[in-house]
Amino acid sequence: MEKISEVIRNKVSRRKFLAGVGSGLGTTAALAVASGCGGSSTPTTTNPTPPASSGVTDADIFNFALNLEYLEAEFYLRAVTGSGLSSADIGSSPGTVTGGAAVPFKTPAIQAYAQEIANDELAHVRFIRKALAGLAVDRPAIDLQNSFNAAAMAAGIGSSFNPFADENSFIVGAFVFEDVGVTAYHGAATLISASANLGYAAGILATEAYHAGEIRTLIAQLGDPYLTYANQISALRAAAGGGAEVTVSGGTIVAADSNSLAFDRTTSQVLHIVYLDATAGVVSKGGFFPNGLNGTITASTS
Amino acid sequence: MEKDTEMIETNNAEPNSSSRRSAILLGGAALAGALLAHKASAQTTATVTDPDILNFALNLEYLEAQFYTLATTGMTLQQAGVMTTGGGGAAAGTLTVKANPMVPFQTPLLQQFANEVAKDEQNHVNFLRGALGSAAVAQPNIDLMNSFNALAMAAGLGSTFDPFASETNFLIGAFIFEDVGVTAYQGAAPLISSKTYLDSAIGIHAVEAYHAASIRTRIYQAGTTAQTISQAIAATRAKLDGTNNDDIGVGTTNGAATIVDNDANAMTYARTTTQVLSIVYGGGTAGTGGAFFPNAMNGTIK
Repeated sequence: MEKISEVIRNKVSRRKFLAGVGSGLGTTAALAVASGCGGSSTPTTTNPTPPASSGVTDADIFNFALNLEYLEAEFYLRAVTGSGLSSADIGSSPGTVTGGAAVPFKTPAIQAYAQEIANDELAHVRFIRKALAGLAVDRPAIDLQNSFNAAAMAAGIGSSFNPFADENSFIVGAFVFEDVGVTAYHGAATLISASANLGYAAGILATEAYHAGEIRTLIAQLGDPYLTYANQISALRAAAGGGAEVTVSGGTIVAADSNSLAFDRTTSQVLHIVYLDATAGVVSKGGFFPNGLNGTITASTS
Repeated sequence: MEKDTEMIETNNAEPNSSSRRSAILLGGAALAGALLAHKASAQTTATVTDPDILNFALNLEYLEAQFYTLATTGMTLQQAGVMTTGGGGAAAGTLTVKANPMVPFQTPLLQQFANEVAKDEQNHVNFLRGALGSAAVAQPNIDLMNSFNALAMAAGLGSTFDPFASETNFLIGAFIFEDVGVTAYQGAAPLISSKTYLDSAIGIHAVEAYHAASIRTRIYQAGTTAQTISQAIAATRAKLDGTNNDDIGVGTTNGAATIVDNDANAMTYARTTTQVLSIVYGGGTAGTGGAFFPNAMNGTIK
């Protein structure tokens, strides 16, 4: 079976994908299932053979991303409206959300920035859920309260941190997520099999990078104490997530390496960050996800 | 166009013809397919190689790097020590720009960011040249003077535009390039065969998005005059690429800022190489050039 999947993969090069990709995927916005022995057209059909190369399917990857989008959407929607995702967008057996409250915005521009990002993350949740159809995981349990306090302690900020308290704290809270999203999608990009799915991932990744660039710009402009808080968070992420960080300053708005390429992270590195657990070894829950992510990629491998 | 549907099987998702993102991906893919078909007479089908794509990107990076290096230092890319000859020895093209193009920066944070972007684009030039080796194209003839005037006319902004004249003009000049860079890399990514090159291309793609976001945030902060100009330019780009619907300027819509240039699914747009060429040539013909590349790009995709 492995040999057949190799033959299929080699036979269908990306250029041929390009010619055919407009046929069904474009109009249905469905995730192309491109794995194993010819793929599966119905969500209930199990795929007996994982792809030879990485052992994860495109659906696995997008479900991993969906967990992160659930987290971001809950954070931003609650910050902007006081309420999170609606029941239509979280699956049939979602976990509970702890914390989150409407931010008392004072500056119209900051409220407008927040509204846009909230809209974007909601759109990402909806797009991925629709593309995955029956394969989409439910929203896992999410913690937006104890998590930030724990992060503040670990980062040396203080005993607590409430990103919903005011608009500048909100910007620091947003900073916790956005660069991580970029590195997560970047790391996953080369694991994606179907060309159309890569296009979707690239489109979401770039939006997360826009968010990150915007937030980092605002933080650089705010200066201390927020600039220092953000860089303490950055150091924490570096420790938990294998480096891949650049502290924020007026001349380091972009988080990129010495070639000015954005960083990659593995799913394991991302999990260490979102579980707020820098301990080496397998971590499977904690931090922002008290019961872990949902789906197949839920525990770090190292 | 050959279609291989064995690997591309959709889930059970209902067709959703109202999804703009899907329509655009469909359009982009179909157009890219058309590009390959159009070239069939000059070369065999499906022969856009990875070096072709990287060289296409290199042309754009030469353009951006020249703009930012001149804006921040008054020096050309060559004077700043970046190689612009072909990997096989071909001479670099000419550069048309006004005398004394250094921007009279007054805002330290903007100066620092502009310096950062100049360094990033120089790094991108160097990185792509390194990846291409002897296959790297030389910098083609670049125009950073008449081009901006022509674009201003096309956008209904008057008969001249000098992006080096002031901080706000610099932001607008930068705005012209960055979103286009994002869409160019996003359109090209699914065409890349090598996973290594793909990872690098996505890494550059993300950095261009960071740039675009920081510039757009500062345009937002500059006020409604600057925002309106950006909207006119975005509309012109969308008109030049033939879609009239794949570009959003900076502003506020329904209480949400439009810092991110993305669609209803909160995905950034992809452009085909043909669409990108239409924009950077100011409507000029593929192969012939115009605007920023008065004699077309160098390489296969031109």
